[in-house]
Amino acid sequence: MSVIAHVDHGKSTLTDSLVAAAGIIAQEVAGDVRMTDTRADEAERGITIKSTGISLYYEMTDDSLKSYKGERQGNEYLINLIDSPGHVDFSSEVTAALRITDGALVVVDCIEGVCVQTETVLLQALGERIRPVLTVNKMDRCFLELQVDGEEAYQTFQRVIENANVIMATYEDPLLGDVQVYPEKGTVAFSAGLHGWAFTLTNFAKMYASKFGVDEAKMMERLWGENFFDPATKKWTTKNTGSATCKRGFVQFCYEPIKQIINTCMNDQKDKLWPMLQKLNVTMKSDEKELMGKALMKRVMQTWLPASSALLEMMIFHLPSPSKAQKYRVENLYEGPLDDVYANAIRNCDPEGPLMLYVSKMIPASDKGRFFAFGRVFSGKVSTGLKVRIMGPNYVPGEKKDLYVKSVQRTVIWMGKKQETVEDVPCGNTVAMVGLDQFITKNATLTNEKEVDAHPIRAMKFSVSPVVRVAVQCKVASDLPKLVEGLKRLAKSDPMVLCSIEESGEHIVAGAGELHLEICLKDLQEDFMGGAEIIKSDPVVSFRETVLERSCRTVMSKSPNKHNRLYMEARPLEEGLAEAIDEGRIGPRDDPKIRSKILAEEYGWDKDLAKKIWCFGPETTGPNMVVDMCKGVQYLNEIKDSVVAGFQWASKEGALAEENMRGICFEVCDVVLHADAIHRGGGQIIPTARRVFYASQLTAKPRLLEPVYLVEIQAPEQALGGIYSVLNQKRGHVFEEMQRPGTPLYNIKAYLPVIESFGFSSTLRAATSGQAFPQCVFDHWDMMSSDPMEPNSQAAAHVAEIRKRKGLKEQMTPLSEYEDKL
Amino acid sequence: MTQPKVSVSLISSSSSRGRTAPRGEPVSHQPPAMDLELNFEISRTAEFILSRNFTRVALQFPDDLLKHSTKVVTCLRNKLGSGNKVGLFVMADTTFGSCCVDEVGASHIGADCVIHYGHTCLSPTSTLPAFCVFGKASINISCCVEKLSSYFRTNGKPIVVLYGLGYAHAISQIKRALEEAMPKTKMELIFSDVMCSIINPLEDHRNSDGLEGCLGTYSSENSLGSGTRYSLGGLTWDLPEGQRMEDYLLLWIGPENSAFSNAVLTFNGCEIVRYDATEDQLVTDVSQQKRILKRRYYLVERAKDANMVGILVGTLGVADYLHMIHQMKELIMLAGKKAYTLVMGRPNPSKLANFPECDVFIYVSCAQTALLDSKEFLAPVITPFEAMLAFSSGSQWTGTYVLEFRDLINSSQLEVSKRPEEARFSFLKGGYVEDFEPQENGDEDNDSTLALANATEKALQLRDRDPGSLVKRTVKSGAEFFVTRSYHGLETHANTSSPEPYLIGRSGKASGYEDERSEPELRSN
Repeated sequence: MSVIAHVDHGKSTLTDSLVAAAGIIAQEVAGDVRMTDTRADEAERGITIKSTGISLYYEMTDDSLKSYKGERQGNEYLINLIDSPGHVDFSSEVTAALRITDGALVVVDCIEGVCVQTETVLLQALGERIRPVLTVNKMDRCFLELQVDGEEAYQTFQRVIENANVIMATYEDPLLGDVQVYPEKGTVAFSAGLHGWAFTLTNFAKMYASKFGVDEAKMMERLWGENFFDPATKKWTTKNTGSATCKRGFVQFCYEPIKQIINTCMNDQKDKLWPMLQKLNVTMKSDEKELMGKALMKRVMQTWLPASSALLEMMIFHLPSPSKAQKYRVENLYEGPLDDVYANAIRNCDPEGPLMLYVSKMIPASDKGRFFAFGRVFSGKVSTGLKVRIMGPNYVPGEKKDLYVKSVQRTVIWMGKKQETVEDVPCGNTVAMVGLDQFITKNATLTNEKEVDAHPIRAMKFSVSPVVRVAVQCKVASDLPKLVEGLKRLAKSDPMVLCSIEESGEHIVAGAGELHLEICLKDLQEDFMGGAEIIKSDPVVSFRETVLERSCRTVMSKSPNKHNRLYMEARPLEEGLAEAIDEGRIGPRDDPKIRSKILAEEYGWDKDLAKKIWCFGPETTGPNMVVDMCKGVQYLNEIKDSVVAGFQWASKEGALAEENMRGICFEVCDVVLHADAIHRGGGQIIPTARRVFYASQLTAKPRLLEPVYLVEIQAPEQALGGIYSVLNQKRGHVFEEMQRPGTPLYNIKAYLPVIESFGFSSTLRAATSGQAFPQCVFDHWDMMSSDPMEPNSQAAAHVAEIRKRKGLKEQMTPLSEYEDKL
Repeated sequence: MTQPKVSVSLISSSSSRGRTAPRGEPVSHQPPAMDLELNFEISRTAEFILSRNFTRVALQFPDDLLKHSTKVVTCLRNKLGSGNKVGLFVMADTTFGSCCVDEVGASHIGADCVIHYGHTCLSPTSTLPAFCVFGKASINISCCVEKLSSYFRTNGKPIVVLYGLGYAHAISQIKRALEEAMPKTKMELIFSDVMCSIINPLEDHRNSDGLEGCLGTYSSENSLGSGTRYSLGGLTWDLPEGQRMEDYLLLWIGPENSAFSNAVLTFNGCEIVRYDATEDQLVTDVSQQKRILKRRYYLVERAKDANMVGILVGTLGVADYLHMIHQMKELIMLAGKKAYTLVMGRPNPSKLANFPECDVFIYVSCAQTALLDSKEFLAPVITPFEAMLAFSSGSQWTGTYVLEFRDLINSSQLEVSKRPEEARFSFLKGGYVEDFEPQENGDEDNDSTLALANATEKALQLRDRDPGSLVKRTVKSGAEFFVTRSYHGLETHANTSSPEPYLIGRSGKASGYEDERSEPELRSN
């Protein structure tokens, strides 16, 4: 299972308690070690950057399992746990973690409540068919910091749970069933990660069930919701009777006792404490009795309500086992036919079946330059020395592309900061493998050597995209080989980062956000290049080129030999169509019939026209297309390939600033060709097609599209003024402002152009004296209203800047260079 | 220009060549006979022809000097003497770069030597001897020296002086003047020499003999016995032992042309200044050239991803070009890619676009025409050196750059012995890509009669699976490429046996057929 949450809600800290329970670290230090933060900078910044796996083995007592209703064999449980980062810049790590787990522990800060990133990761989890359980964390803040009374606390918790449920309810999945969480069913825990204690209502229900002589399940129901108890009358009611002693069940039986214990501990009233503990069957060791204040409280609470047992119980009872989960996940996972042997093996989690293993990320190994391939065995068994077929992301079944056969040198179980070598790992588990790193960039599907018919496991879908780019170069020119090697390794070490090269020869590193890039470049320089110095450029944002309306006239270009003429018009694609192409709902691989149906029904295309799409581009899949509008033109099919080649080229480098085009539909209106085939070959048509694409783009009111972030900011009311002024100054606009019920905090959602976002966090922090914390995720492409053809406009300034950076001529090539006259 | 000209007595102040004439000065289209004599070195040429008893002489002119060709021939004819039966032929519009000696053209008329005029790369020829006349570009020596000496005072580095061949005539004076201008400074100043203006086919070109008398002696003074000898584009110079080019400041006298880019790329680690004689200024900004280097680096990366490679024959004259082409073919084959050799004269975008199946082209030509700016080309055009980097596994871009392909023949043994353990990382795709195993290709070659059929069959089968697909697969041979095209040639409609109806074709000119005359009006409606 994975631990997911918003940043700073206490995932890693809570994970520590679980690790401690498995005996890997001492109970005393749990919460401070942050076992899963393996990197120096993680510890330093106090945030998790990489997701870290840890395999934990527990033996449960028969007693604690007696109410477990599912099938079970023995009392031993192996939990493969992955702690994930909460910062939005690293959410690709979360995606990679979710893919290889079946359940998720959603951690929510009881005060801050459900935040942006909670929502994002929750939706992602449900998208992968991961069953969630919830823990309301940082309970200690309620008792120590805020000192709220029981009813108020209950309301807060109730709201947190409700908010989470609202999100989960939006995702209805018949196979996964009801995914909402209910405290009375034991799928919600209340925890204080820092102090290492947690409880579910089951704990208390058990305790009181024996005391009151009621059924445990019934007691549980009474401990949550509209159930009130009046100790004076010893009666349960469903309404507050108004009597002073009448309190909600939860408050009466859960909240108040804890509060009492904590208060006595904090006030060092040991004489009162010991009898209380005795009543609760909590025995302390003698040396522990010497502790004072907070330390005493921590110890007492850990002994009374150990976080691990509450959380483990919740996980074991309510999160599915691999064999259960893979039954419904197989549809999400497997690309091939769902009735073949591989699909069945995954479905049944068959250890005897063919190996199906998905590598979701690469972890740098201690010997420089090498990586562990970390993933999950979905079926079969992976063992040391096994020869495996590696199917990369570009593998197409039946072809040899992106396919390697190599042997696994070693299989390893990941234990946070440590690793343990094992002989083999059967299905359902996470595993790290040595010896495959030179053939896997980021992820891959592994299967047995001979299983040539296996299809790969579906690629992961990320919620963020690498929109922030910097150019890097080495300070000393002769370090270039080091840089190249370093970039290779960097590309491997992170699921999201993109290392590429620009036309101008600059090496580009692209990441999801400023922080992400910062970490990546630090890794690059320190870990992957052995400290060789690099120079990085200012962040560069890539734009897109589009058109505002239909070309004002049909443009024509003549081939170099003047014997061929292409007539064309450009127009913007219908609203939402470019996004549909991005998402792959419409694409070049579709069945033309289905494609034309979607185009006709959703985007109002003519049915026949939809069948006349020549191609998509750039890279044959991009959100632009060429449509044939000609009627009865001779030899037209003969030049189609040449026009397509010209289009792939032109759509990759638009006429404005050689940025990719987006959302343009080019209509081939007419074509005049030389009767002799030799005079209408590729050499004549390809350059002409390119020119006419540019001409039609330029006559259709070309515009720039800039990437826009969705920013979510949480801040108290007094910081709002500062937030608004910073956003205004950065061309952002707020579209939602909501007070978080029950808190003084406001939730603000705004759009912010990516290009303005550099330094946004720090400006915001300065303007709000550190009270506002923004999260930025790429949201959409926004058209810049100014005309790039008009000198001195903002768009023109951007165009000029891009052209300068790319080393192009400062002036755009005029239309007359592309358009010819009869 | 207010500065008095030092060189008035020797060199005409206004050049006969518009290309190098200073801006603002009228270009004289009728150079006096005296200038012609000097500029085109008529007497030396005549001497060369007579001394070697050539009977059929080809005079090769670049386009910009063609207008003087008749006068040169007349002059030369006079010089050779009327009784002499030497045949003089004017050659123009050379197939490849005009800097190379056009041996094929010359052999059409059975010439036994070539006189080459204008800018030259001094690439060695394979069969014919050639005599190169560089021409004399005008330069204001005092201005030049003043600019240079003031710059050198601020820069402490030792200096290597290189220059465009057109300025070779003035170098000795510049040198003398420079030494006079800065007598006190113990500056190390190395002037390069012109190798030789006579190209003898397939010979060692070390000993220079032809320059003396006309260009002055300056060859033996600063050559030290031990040291490293460098040569570039017809210039040679020696560095004292233990010194590297990076320690020197490179001074280039001449216009910003391919020879200069050549120097910048080859010595990209050096600090470089250029003295522009026509503008009379020092240009220290060579970022444009450095940019070219980065761009070339990108092209190498792109070439690594190529499956099909076209070898463009860019010269038929430069010695060893065939050897190079064979070497390239071998290299490409060992890298598991397909090679096609194409001869098309000087490449242009539309010529190359006729071969859309090639992912990259290698242009085998003389050093100064080697860099084709690839922006307009559908596929990048790279040099043999870059091909070496891209296709031999394990080789890395270290910053050294070689443009002269003859340097490659000696330097590199093909060492594609074992394939590396690691898959290749492509920076264009941002991930690992698989290269085709060379053995696989070998198998296909052994079975070459069936290779095409096999490949075709394979591609056809795969295509049939998704007939409506708009996606192109990656292909690894020309045959496969053609199968993936949507158009396969004439479509025969076998089911209609009846003859097609008679149609009246178009008439008129291609720029506007007769039936199209009214089209613009129609369109606007």
